[in-house]
Amino acid sequence: MSLSSRNAPSPVAGAAHAPATGWWRRAGFLSAVGQAALVAGVCLAGWWLYGNLVENLTRTRIPTDFDFLTQPTGFAIPENFGFDPDLPIWRMVLIGVQNTFLAGLVGVLLASIVGLVVGIARLSSNWLVARLAQIYVEGFRNTPPLVVIVFFSFAVFSFGPLPVFPEALDLKLPGSASNWLVLSKSRIGIPSLSAERHTGLFWLLVLFGAAASAGLWVWRSRRHVRTGEPHHRVLWSLGVLAVVAVVAFVSLGGPYDWSWPARSENGRRLVSGFGTSAAYLSLTLALALYTASHIAEVVRASILAVPKGQSEAAGALSLSPFQRYRHVILPQGLRIAVPPTINQYLNLVKNTSLGTVVGYADVTNLTRTSIGNANPAPQSIAVLMGVYLVFSLVISLLLNVYNRTVQLRER
Amino acid sequence: MTATVPPADRPSGVGRAAPPRPTARAWARENLFNNRHNSALTVLLGAGLAMLAAYGARFLFVTGQWAPVRTNLTLLMMGTFPRAEQWRVVVQVYLLCAAAGLVWGGLTASSRDRAADADVPFSRARLRDGVRRWWPLFVLLAVLLGMTRTWLPLAFVASALAGGVVARRAMEALPEAGRRAGWFGAGVCALAGWQVVSGTGGIAWWWGSALVAAALVRITGNVRSEARWQPAARLALIAGAVAVVWAVYGRLDFGGVGWDDWSGFQLNLVAAAASIVLAFPVGLAAAIGRRSQLPAVRWLSVGYIELIRGVPLITLLFMGDLFLGFFLPTEDPLSKVTRAIAVMTLFTGAYLAEIVRGGLQAVPRGQVEAAWAVGLSAPRVLGLIVLPQALRAVIPALVGQFINLFKDSTLLSIIALTEILRIRESIHGQREFLVTGIAETLVFVAFAFWALAFTMSRESQRLERRLGVGER
Repeated sequence: MSLSSRNAPSPVAGAAHAPATGWWRRAGFLSAVGQAALVAGVCLAGWWLYGNLVENLTRTRIPTDFDFLTQPTGFAIPENFGFDPDLPIWRMVLIGVQNTFLAGLVGVLLASIVGLVVGIARLSSNWLVARLAQIYVEGFRNTPPLVVIVFFSFAVFSFGPLPVFPEALDLKLPGSASNWLVLSKSRIGIPSLSAERHTGLFWLLVLFGAAASAGLWVWRSRRHVRTGEPHHRVLWSLGVLAVVAVVAFVSLGGPYDWSWPARSENGRRLVSGFGTSAAYLSLTLALALYTASHIAEVVRASILAVPKGQSEAAGALSLSPFQRYRHVILPQGLRIAVPPTINQYLNLVKNTSLGTVVGYADVTNLTRTSIGNANPAPQSIAVLMGVYLVFSLVISLLLNVYNRTVQLRER
Repeated sequence: MTATVPPADRPSGVGRAAPPRPTARAWARENLFNNRHNSALTVLLGAGLAMLAAYGARFLFVTGQWAPVRTNLTLLMMGTFPRAEQWRVVVQVYLLCAAAGLVWGGLTASSRDRAADADVPFSRARLRDGVRRWWPLFVLLAVLLGMTRTWLPLAFVASALAGGVVARRAMEALPEAGRRAGWFGAGVCALAGWQVVSGTGGIAWWWGSALVAAALVRITGNVRSEARWQPAARLALIAGAVAVVWAVYGRLDFGGVGWDDWSGFQLNLVAAAASIVLAFPVGLAAAIGRRSQLPAVRWLSVGYIELIRGVPLITLLFMGDLFLGFFLPTEDPLSKVTRAIAVMTLFTGAYLAEIVRGGLQAVPRGQVEAAWAVGLSAPRVLGLIVLPQALRAVIPALVGQFINLFKDSTLLSIIALTEILRIRESIHGQREFLVTGIAETLVFVAFAFWALAFTMSRESQRLERRLGVGER
């Protein structure tokens, strides 16, 4: 503390007293000595701690190197994700990273959407909407995320004492034998697409359609600027894309078909459709809803930070409420919202580590299991922390670059 | 701090005619049915809400099986705290209520005096205002009391609250000189409240001597009093007082229950409170270090802050649980709870550092330059000019951090500490509750956290408005 501040007044003190002071009392010398002492102290402390660690590890016969990373994991997990006990531990870490990424990405997307909607709803002129949004925000924001995750996992999906979901549930499409939703103890199945034929060709055609619609977008925009006639670019581009996709789909004889979820004979597994684990679903949903409450507050504050005159001026131009938000308020407000939202994204990604409680195979859970299998804890935790640091750094780097591009450049 | 002077921007009935209350019909037309979209939304949401409310009410009062909570209420709150020592907690609650009452009364009295000085009308905060501001806490208390089987807890809570109110009244009635003793009394009550549970053994005398030393520094350092103390005499007095405290604590050992034996909701509260208090100096140092002009200091601070903020708390808790003891020479001398609190302190320190840094940056540079110009030394610039302004601005953010930490204390269940979430899990290991009331116990736990966190966050928002953060 005193070290850091000692040279603060140096411009004044140094200038006034420079001739009369000995070299050992100069701010530069003192700060150099102080810093050297501090660094030496920290290094010594670190060395002492590290020495203790190595000594204790050797005493308890725990390896002190990272060789365990190439050993087989020796355990299996219920969701397999291509996991088997012979895989080396570094592959296990990668699979965990992939699962963490999956939960984080979907969570971030969901949280952004819900947060944006709720944040705008909090400022609605409709009293009921604003109040409901407020209840949502205050309810989720002040509850521990872990409790929310456990609630989703145990109370909603697994045991279902909220009598919404009985123990196992198949929801049929009306008038057919196909299920559109299957809930079993820990799995949730939804319909998916199964590839039949010519899928590559289909996507190629869709790609062409996308290129065409992008061209149309540019053309319509330019024309709008030149002549002032309404551009309707969303309608044009999406229309062309949809037409191309439908024509391609029909003419290729149906490259994809629905795969309806169905239960296997013993009822424990899903044989078709897209199955996702209740652990994944409860983790992602809970985190998304929890973080959305924080993002909603950010959105609300940012919208309120836009000067009121902007909205009034937009009203005077007789823009509709939607246009007012879309073209005037949100572009200015969301710019303010970017930095705090980055923090919320980072929190969400870090909070995916709570999936270990509900048995989601994220990197924390897998590392924990591997430590339980007598792999050295310090190195494992070091790898784990490294993984999260990389996650945090990458996210904040990407979003800070984005932030720089959207921020207002002031003179 | 001006707890009850109505600010000018709020219509409080003084000097401003209240607008006429709209009729219910006009209000609904204005706020619910002002255009076609809103009318449709209102009808749709209203129907959905009614359904949800009916469902919720049925769950709360009819179908909900609250027996697991009701049977295990003490377990949830105190966990495995030795039942024979429960009286310590009771005494603690009384003492803390008295301390809170004294503080509240002191704040009211000082704002009353200030209002009198400024010649503005003063309306004293009544119990009704307290209920309106802290209703979630009262609902939580009502739920807890409603689940008990005897009248004892009700009598206990009522008398503790009454004690707090009496303390507040007494503090308000004191003259200004006596109030200083009252503040000291509040400190003593809080300290005694802590120590009646934790005991006076170990390093507890530190707390006592720190309090006495702080009080003496304040009294002897009073610039306005005629008898200005010489520094040597001050030092001697403080040293002597500390020695006396130490001697007293040495004699006065009446057992106690350390935090290793605390569990249940109590552990959540204690872990969060202890961590934030212990983390404060860490965060302060790191924040100042990060703004230092010395590169070594700055980089060390940045490294610490960013490293900790980049990883989830749970990885740090695993570290604390599995091998923190390995960093020390002897064979794991720290208890599990101590290690967890150490890790949470380390974690919170980094976040506090960022909060405090925000406060430091908010202090105008002219303040520091003016302080240099009057010839203050660097520590004094920091201590007398910068920190008072910086810390005042970050109080709401500090409360927010405490709320986060309090919510994060549920993570202790992952490293097998018996905090409330873990206790809840163990309840469902009891034979009669294997599958009953799983949602109900979770709802109860969530509500307990919600009530406290919501109240604190509202108070911090209130404080933010009062302090005018970002407006001056």
